[in-house]
Parts: sequence; structure tokens; C-alpha cells
Amino acid sequence: MATTPRSISGGSVGEAELRSVGGVGWAGARAGRTESPLAEAVRRLRKSATALIGVGIVVVLVLVAIFADVLAPRSPIASNQAQTFQRPSWEHPLGTDQLGRDMLSRIIHGTRISLAVGVSSVLLALFVGVPFGMIAGFYGGRVDTGIMRVMDLILAFPIYLLAIILMVMFTPTAGLIGTMKVTGAIAIVRIPIYARLVRGSVLSIKEKEFIEACRALGVRDHSILFRHVLPNCLAPIIVTTTLGIATSIIVEATLSFLGLGTQPPTPSWGWDLKANIAFIQANAWLSLFPGLAIFLTVLGFNLFGDGLRDALDPRLK
Amino acid sequence: MRTYILRRLLQIIPTVLGITFIVFLMMRSVPGDPVVALLGDAYTEEDAIKARAEYGLNKPIVVQYVIWLGKLVQGDWGASILTGRPVLQDVMIRLPVTLELVVLSMAVALLIAIPAGIIGALRRNTWADYTATTVAMVGVSIPEFFIGVLLLLVFSIGLGGFLPSSGWIYLPGTCPTMVCGSSLWGNATHVLMPAFALGIGRAALLTRLLRASMLEVIRAEYVTTARAKGLAERPVVFKHALKNALIPTVTVMGLQVGFLIGGAIVVETLFAMPGLGTFGIDAIIARDYQQVQGFALITALAFVVINLLVDLTYTFLDPRIRYA
Repeated sequence: MATTPRSISGGSVGEAELRSVGGVGWAGARAGRTESPLAEAVRRLRKSATALIGVGIVVVLVLVAIFADVLAPRSPIASNQAQTFQRPSWEHPLGTDQLGRDMLSRIIHGTRISLAVGVSSVLLALFVGVPFGMIAGFYGGRVDTGIMRVMDLILAFPIYLLAIILMVMFTPTAGLIGTMKVTGAIAIVRIPIYARLVRGSVLSIKEKEFIEACRALGVRDHSILFRHVLPNCLAPIIVTTTLGIATSIIVEATLSFLGLGTQPPTPSWGWDLKANIAFIQANAWLSLFPGLAIFLTVLGFNLFGDGLRDALDPRLK
Repeated sequence: MRTYILRRLLQIIPTVLGITFIVFLMMRSVPGDPVVALLGDAYTEEDAIKARAEYGLNKPIVVQYVIWLGKLVQGDWGASILTGRPVLQDVMIRLPVTLELVVLSMAVALLIAIPAGIIGALRRNTWADYTATTVAMVGVSIPEFFIGVLLLLVFSIGLGGFLPSSGWIYLPGTCPTMVCGSSLWGNATHVLMPAFALGIGRAALLTRLLRASMLEVIRAEYVTTARAKGLAERPVVFKHALKNALIPTVTVMGLQVGFLIGGAIVVETLFAMPGLGTFGIDAIIARDYQQVQGFALITALAFVVINLLVDLTYTFLDPRIRYA
């Protein structure tokens, strides 16, 4: 058995040619060598330069967020009336704003809000959306109709209309509570995306023979769901989650830009950008740096997510 | 086909009712009400109760909604509590601004995305492809307001105030009242930056999608057949490949409408345009219930009508798709 795949990959047909055929015989050839799907995905991920750039950006941002207190040269909220609108200098590498606050420190601390909201809103949406999607897909019938009607109702809303009204309902505030409100609003808007995604995967997976085999063996429903169905729909979930973080960060920045995100004095990139537009004529850098920070963060997660997608599911490329 | 369109048009009604009702419920559960803002410093509990009774705000929420709906069917969108102006009139003044912005931004998106997506797919792994994919990756990662700020810096501040940074001049013929100023040149200078700010992100997204689906389609057997029978490259690409590759692209364009509405709010805020976006956000923040309902209604209508148009576009792109 084992000789057949080896003779293909090592024979006269080049690997590159085989790959271009697209899926023909390749899975079989792989199965010959014992490499776990995870190891294979990591190997593919490491080959992609853009994905590695994305991973690099994300890692640096996470470190900046964790060590913000150490990295920031000054307090992000302490104002200094004697030093307003300073141009970038050694003392203030990114200058100061209209209250004399150090922009570099504000941007470093802003990383926390951006990442916290981006990651936790997606996780929250995931923890609600995935179980609902699994139950809807697995049990079908009335349960499915009931759950998906509610999801469709949320999806029927233009995403920003819902997020904005939710934020007005929650009344935006500063600090941790304010951040949690934004997280909640973005999570609610994004729950149906995961529910739909998982439901679709479950619908196709539950018809497979190995699930039938599980049933025949008398495996309980929840065990089938979590041990056999869920692992098989992880790939699209992981990809959507990573790309979803990028979207959530943009939504957070947009809400902040509209004045509906975490409130000052808590440093938030979107708010800083908006607040400094009034002074753009003479102090362009004040709006530039928060914008660049948002862009870099979103780019990092997008590159990472793209790389993950290529690594986890080469057919999607 | 006609029955299909009719059925879809009828389906619009429950969706719009659902959206407006939920917005109605949500707005009324927001702490504070417009009466507080209306009375301002002269606020007394007595006046507030009187004012609430005057605007019918003391009735049960469902009753209030039914009253709103009843007036709506007669063409009365209600009047703003804070300004007293009829909501429909405000919406009509602001609609052309947003409509022009959205249509032009979609035009910008398609004019960039179609050539870039085709070139990326046909010249795969060449420098042209790498440029297109890199620029597209950057494009999907920049929020609209930052593109807007960059445009402002270059064209409003950098090039000696070449383009105005805010305000609006109507396109001749679109001004719904007698008082607004309109000129072709003035309109062009005002709409250019917002349309690009809103369009570039969309262009980047569509480029990525179109390139991916073109890559799939171009390998299909019917494209090989078309080439084998001696067709020139141009009809092969545009008639055979592009039309099919556009189907997933159009789907995503439909899904993007929700984001487009958010984008319009942001861009209109940034460029201080008197469009529906700024109207909506101002109304929501001021808790002007009647205006918010008007905004929710027009947004919901736009949302479902565009989704219907997307479904109808499929029949043009792929005549095998039939609706009965």
C-alpha cells in the first residue's frame, strides 16, 4: 500500500505538476506520510511570507498591549497645558495633542482598547453563535427554523444601524465598562455570522458516514457534536474568526470615530483621529498616527487570516 | 419573472415592518427622551408630562408604533419633535446627497476592481498581479475615515485647498427645494473626495473577490472550449469568463450594503455633508424618535430593494438562473 504514493511523489511526475492538477491523488500521497493536519497547516503557513508578516504584526501588537504601561513614556491621559500641539521631537516622538498629552503614549495604550474589543467581541460572538449554529444544523426541523429566524432578523439589519443604536442604548462610557459595552454591541451584530457558518458546515458533516457510524455505535448526541462534528468545522471557524477580528477592529474604530465608542479620557484610536481632525490644517500628524495604527492592526489580522485560510484549506486559494 | 418580482416586492413589507418595529422598541428603551432635550434648561416635571402627552409619548409603545404606521400609510412620516419639521421633507432633501455619494462610490469601486481583478487573474504571479493584490490588501485594511483624512491632507490642505473639505453643492436637477445652490462644477468638487473615500475600500474588496473567481473560471472547460474554437481573447475574457466570475462578486456587493450605509454615515460626518448618514446619526444621538423612524425606514427600504436588484442581476449574468 505504502509504495504506491511514494512512487507518485518520487517518480517521473514532478511535485509541482501534480499540485497543478488540483487535488488529484494528492491527499492519498500525503496520507502515506503520517503528518497531522495541524502540522501540515503550520508548515504551509510558514511558507507564506505575507502570512508571517501578519503574524509578526499581531505578535508585536499583543506585546505592546500587554506591556503598554512599561512601553509608554508618559501617562496617556495626563494633560499638560504648557506643552500643547508640540511637533514630533525626541521628548514626544509623535508630538502632543490639544491637551498636551503625549500622542505616542496614547497610541500605545490605544492598542489595548482596539485589541481587547476586536478579540473579545469575536470570541463572545463565537461562544454564542457556534453552539446555536451547531444545534440548529444538527437537530434541524423546528429548532433550526426557530434559531435561524432570529439570526436572519439580526442579519436583516444593516450592521452599522444596529451597532449604532445598540451603543446609544448602552450609553457609551469611559474605562473598562465602556470597553465592555462596545464589545457587547459588536458581538451581538456578529453572532449570526458564526451561527450561519457553523450551521452550514454541520449540515454537510452530519450526513457523512463517520457520523452514521457514531450513531450506530450508540454515541450520545453531545459527544457526536463536540468530539466529531465540531473538530471538522474548525477550519472555516478559525479563518472567519481571524478575519472577523480585523472587521471588529474597524467597527470599533468607526464607532469611536462617531463618538459612540469608549469615551475619553480612555485612549481610543478612532476617537483620537476624530478629535484631531479639527486641527488638521496645522497639525496633520495628530490624525495621521491614530489612523496608521488602526490600518496596521487591521492589516496584520487580515494578512494572518489570509495566510491561515490558504494553510487550512488550500482549495480556497 | 413578473410574479417573482411581485412576490419579492411583497416580501419587502414584513422585513421593513420588522426592522422599523425593532428600531422603534430599541430607541424607546434608550435612557432619556427627546422631551428632555426639547425643554432644555426650562425643564420641569409638569411640562415634561404635558409635552409627552402632546406628542403621544405616554401611550404604550405598541400603540405608538401602530399610530406611526397608520400615518405612514397615508404618506405622513411624522414631524421631528425637536425641530418641528416634517420628516419626509428632511429625508427628501438629504436623499439625493447620499444617493449620489453611494452611486459614485460604487462606480469608483467597479472602475478600479474590474480591470484590477481581471489583470490579477490573467497575469497571475507577475508584477502586475502582485501590485494589484498588495494594493487590494492595503485597501481592505484602511477604514473609510482614514482614507478620507488622507485625501483631505493631499487635496484640501496639501494642494493649496484644491478641493473643498466640507459642505455640499447639489447636482443641477437634484435639488428638491428652491433654496439650495446647485452647479455641476461645485458638485463635482464636493463629491469627488467622499466618493473615493467610500469607494476605495469597496474597490479593494471587489478586486480580491473578482481575482479569485476569475482564477477559478478561467480554468473552466468552457473557457478552454471558447479559446479552442478560435475566439479572440477579448470576448473570451469579457463574455465568457467575466460574466460568470461576477456572480459571487455581485453577491458580496449586496452583502456590503450594510457596511456601505455605515461608510456613508462616516464619510458624510467627516466631510460635513448634509446627507442621510449625518441625518440618521444626529437623530439617533438626539433621540429624535420620528427622525430615527424615518431614517430606519429609508435604510430598510434601500437595504431590501438593493438585495432584490442583486438577485435580479443574477438572471442577466447567468440566464440559466430563472425565477418563477
